[in-house]
Amino acid sequence: MNWDHFLLFALISLFFWGSGAIAAWKSNKPYRVYLWTGLGLMTFFAFIAGLWISLERPPMRTMGETRLWYSFFLPLAGLITYSRWKYKWILSFSFILSAVFICINIFKPEIHNKTLMPALQSPWFAPHVIVYMFAYAMLGAAVVMAIYLLWLKKKTIDHKEMELSDNLVYVGLSFMTLGMLFGALWAKEAWGHYWSWDPKETWAAITWIAYLVYIHFRLHQPYVYKKALVIMLVSFISLQMCWYGINYLPSAQGVSVHTYNMK
Amino acid sequence: MNFILFNMWEKTWGYKEGLAVCGGLFLTGILLQITIGKINWDLLAFPVNIILLVLYICAILLIHVNARRVYLFRWMSGYPATVTAMIGVVIITMVMGLTRQVQPRQTVDGFEAFLGFSQMLSAWPFVLIFTWLITILGLTLPKRILPFQWKNIPFLLNHLGLFIAVVGAVLGSADMQRLKMTTTVGKAEWRAYDNNQQLLELPLAIELNDFTIDEYPPKLMLIDNETGKALPEGKPVNLLLEDHLEQGKLGDWMIEVKQQIPEAASYSTTDTVKFVTFHSIGSTYAAYVRVTHIQTGEQKEGWISCGSFWVPYKALRLNDKVSLIMPEREPRRFASDITLYTQSGTKLAATIEVNKPLKIEGWKIYQLSYDETKGKWSDISIFELVRDPWLPIVYVGIYMLIAGAIWMFITASKRKEDSI
Repeated sequence: MNWDHFLLFALISLFFWGSGAIAAWKSNKPYRVYLWTGLGLMTFFAFIAGLWISLERPPMRTMGETRLWYSFFLPLAGLITYSRWKYKWILSFSFILSAVFICINIFKPEIHNKTLMPALQSPWFAPHVIVYMFAYAMLGAAVVMAIYLLWLKKKTIDHKEMELSDNLVYVGLSFMTLGMLFGALWAKEAWGHYWSWDPKETWAAITWIAYLVYIHFRLHQPYVYKKALVIMLVSFISLQMCWYGINYLPSAQGVSVHTYNMK
Repeated sequence: MNFILFNMWEKTWGYKEGLAVCGGLFLTGILLQITIGKINWDLLAFPVNIILLVLYICAILLIHVNARRVYLFRWMSGYPATVTAMIGVVIITMVMGLTRQVQPRQTVDGFEAFLGFSQMLSAWPFVLIFTWLITILGLTLPKRILPFQWKNIPFLLNHLGLFIAVVGAVLGSADMQRLKMTTTVGKAEWRAYDNNQQLLELPLAIELNDFTIDEYPPKLMLIDNETGKALPEGKPVNLLLEDHLEQGKLGDWMIEVKQQIPEAASYSTTDTVKFVTFHSIGSTYAAYVRVTHIQTGEQKEGWISCGSFWVPYKALRLNDKVSLIMPEREPRRFASDITLYTQSGTKLAATIEVNKPLKIEGWKIYQLSYDETKGKWSDISIFELVRDPWLPIVYVGIYMLIAGAIWMFITASKRKEDSI
């Protein structure tokens, strides 16, 4: 399995996920939603697993590879949200977002070879990246919700809907915390210190505290919705900076030890 | 100050006041930075950090017990102070993230030193706002700890865990030793340099028996003859020369590998360079390839090699525009085979690798570097020796936070139902 097979697997997965999203709108039989989305997840994961085997290393090094995980976790996060709150639109959104990341991987692939530098060869590698990608997916779903509530929804915001964004943020933040702390424990083994204020770490701290602002603001002002949602948007922007923005940030050029795919 | 506070006694402070406090701390920090300069964290070394810790905890308890009497103190453990302090930390850390940071020990001058933003961790505005947040965090703790209640456990895992981790990390930073030790094959070494380039003698010695680098198979790439950039520009392709690879495709070129010599040396003939097997120091990887353009049928063949410190590298010019090159091989594993002696009489053999440090008597020994000019033929290995007496405290905090995060995930969807 290599990247030449990606297009096929991606199209099949998108077909399944799309069918799942349509089923969520139309059907009153929720098992169809689970079936279609589940099939899509299995297909996509089969590609990830195949790539993992053929690369002889976890496919998590390059930006393209982390996008792969993100494309996988978005529909999963969507499905979990759907199973809990039965929002018809959530799977459509996760489908669109996932499709965007798949398209980036199709049209702008990056160097994907087998090499994995010794610093990345660690049992911490997979949990660190997977947990982070899942967190990003949940927070991505939360921000979709925020955009919907802020600009697309015509009626006033319902308390239940704010609860959903809270829960997505809580789950996302708990995984982000785990990802960050796994990273700290790993850094101690690999680099000798658990926190070095590398640009990626600096932005990870910013993102983490920004989401804490959201959570504490919500606890203090549970009925001030729009300000809370704006805080969430700002937090999500700093997350983008942490994830890939630092690759382009002048102040981080050549300093970050987290840029493994930039040569 | 007190006078103003008593005047404001009746007033409810909110977000504006909180942001004003952060702004005040920022300005105070700037003034301190200008007048007395950046913070020297080395001053915190033992026993100063222990004294500070005791004083800090006393201060937090004092603020806590006086919370009923002083409005500011009561306000400090509320949401507006918390949220605005976090906003303050986010903003000042964003400034840090947008400013290129230099090593704290480096001297900077002019405008850079004036504000201190390029050494943010030693800059007063950052440290004051950060301390403000951690103090507010600390103030939430006493009433959750006493009287003890089970329902406060998740709160304490997150908040006390963060407090312990951060306070331990900050106060312990000056006690952390990071030393560099350069060892040569066959010799025992017990001296190492610290961050200030002071040579120290250690209670342990390392004898390097062997240093090895395993490498990935070499790869082939196309470059532009004029710019030297990898092709296709922006998304370069490469072909990994794994064992027994006979044919492969690279861009528009078909590559046939006629011969591979994993350990080779070159010699010049009258008109070209040839490679032969050579099993010794300085040998390199070489391959004889035939390259055919898929559309035009244009063909070239010849030797190609990534070279070593002893053998020059060899590229193959395919036409006026494109050359085929073999970049330096990527390392798969760095490892030092060592014998370690300690003052207490322990002698042990060990292998130290990247990601696999050796732990002994409070020290962690990391594979750091080697003689890069010689690559895998390096006969020296450089280790980093790290001692961090406060690490267990920080780890207690980290593990509490991990437990808190797992708890938060499990209860995320149940949380609201309870509260409504």
